[in-house]
Amino acid sequence: MGFVVDWIRERVPIRGDQLRELTNEPVPNHLKRWWFCLGGTPAYLFVVQIVTGILLAFYYSSSPQTAYQSVRYITDDVTYGWYFRSLHKWGATFMVAAVILHQMRVYFTGAYRKPRELNWLVGMCLLLCTLGVGFTGYSLVFEQLSYWGATVGANISDTVPLVGPVLKEMLLGGDAYNERTLSRFFILHAAILPGTMILLLAIHITLIRLQGVTEFKFEDDAATEDHFNFFPDHLYTEVIAGLVLMLLLSALATILPATLGDRADPLTTPEVIKPEWFFYVTFRWLKLFSGTFAVLSMGFIVLAMFLWPWIDNLLRRVTRREDASVYIGIVAVCLIIGMTVYEAAVAH
Amino acid sequence: MAELPGQEQATDRRGFLATTSSLTMAGGLIAGYGTFVAMAGRFLYPAGPSVVGWMYVSQADALRPGDSLVYRAPSGATVVIARHGDTGEVDDFIALSSVCPHLGCQVHWESQNNRFFCPCHNGAFDPKGKAIAGPPASAGQSLPRYPLSVEGGLLFIEVPLESVVAAAPLQAAPELNVAPHKFASDAACPAAHGSQVSTSSNPSRHC
Repeated sequence: MGFVVDWIRERVPIRGDQLRELTNEPVPNHLKRWWFCLGGTPAYLFVVQIVTGILLAFYYSSSPQTAYQSVRYITDDVTYGWYFRSLHKWGATFMVAAVILHQMRVYFTGAYRKPRELNWLVGMCLLLCTLGVGFTGYSLVFEQLSYWGATVGANISDTVPLVGPVLKEMLLGGDAYNERTLSRFFILHAAILPGTMILLLAIHITLIRLQGVTEFKFEDDAATEDHFNFFPDHLYTEVIAGLVLMLLLSALATILPATLGDRADPLTTPEVIKPEWFFYVTFRWLKLFSGTFAVLSMGFIVLAMFLWPWIDNLLRRVTRREDASVYIGIVAVCLIIGMTVYEAAVAH
Repeated sequence: MAELPGQEQATDRRGFLATTSSLTMAGGLIAGYGTFVAMAGRFLYPAGPSVVGWMYVSQADALRPGDSLVYRAPSGATVVIARHGDTGEVDDFIALSSVCPHLGCQVHWESQNNRFFCPCHNGAFDPKGKAIAGPPASAGQSLPRYPLSVEGGLLFIEVPLESVVAAAPLQAAPELNVAPHKFASDAACPAAHGSQVSTSSNPSRHC
């Protein structure tokens, strides 16, 4: 045994104390609270999505002739296919929810302020990539809602001034949904967007390590110790959160497995059409306003979110209130929840 | 230690060469990889627009003013062609597309409301395709029309020839294996590339 250890040490020349130095970053006491696990939760779910996605890719076929049948085959015929497909579907739902909750936590605690503005930008890119992966993912099933969701999504990009038509053609591989479209969505979903997310996550974590975790002090925090070790203390918290998530995902996959609607019919839009829940807000927005205005205003909102650290800085100087962004955030969250519920409640 | 005049000149020359070679190297890399990226972008951009072709519909006289017919294009799309005038010119006819100009969903006819309705974002159009409600009305968008032509008393329509419908296993393949009709004034009517489904005096009945 000693020979093996020596053999490895000789080839990996790092000592135990050096390894501890690398991983044992002291983290503030507030991270013992569960809602501060929300940063690790999307990362854990991302791993779940990669693993289940790779498994599904063994059977999925990304052409209009075969996509729907391959999903049906995975669901009905492959051993545990229903389970892994359902895990992937629920994992996506949870991941979007976890990213949004994480971003809300960062927003309402002002953790995006100087010197962490760059990490907020990276986080915004991760949010958009997560939504993009969700969009391209449900388009792959090639059922009615997948097809019409993809059509609407591509036509939304078409209304962007100047670059819109090029964006649409690049996304669809033509001027309308065609035989080459599905493979583009598959490449985006399974390679380009996850690859980008891995890169962004690496930058995100690097910046966290360089800047340190935002310091908060709660009244009931122990006065003696301000910090505790990341490894293994905080990692244990994340592992427990991961196990609970896995249990929850498995339970949901079993009780409410992913279903399969009718095969895509490009000649008939269903009477009632809804995207995934996380796009309800944009879907309602598109119903309220004409195309170009709706798309430009959405773009403006996303741009404002990107620039929020600087907008917040300006707001604080003008209003002389530290918590101005909190009130704006509360209004925004109420609007988002209200429009989501409204869209969910009505057929049209 | 004081620098000799020749040494200073040599340093300048060395610095100039180092800078020039670095810039040349950077320029070469940017040009090389830039070309690669441009080629990759062009590779990903679609090679051409959708394939469309002129298809024979019917004899122009077969459709009287006020009549309409439902034409099924090779792509599977159904098109309502209606005749409103009596001049014998192409302006007598309209062929409405069922693709909503808002975000591309398919509209359907609601006979009880006498309108076309788009279920995606609640757009509505009158029987002539003019937007009357929803985002298309706000933006002043009407249902698009297919180009029509009357040549030698024959009615032709320009429609897409390929669609993902072709991928549906239940679609009849022979109907889709068509070549676009070469448009010429003295051309004989091609065999039914598309198909005329039915005629009606109510333009909305078959939508």
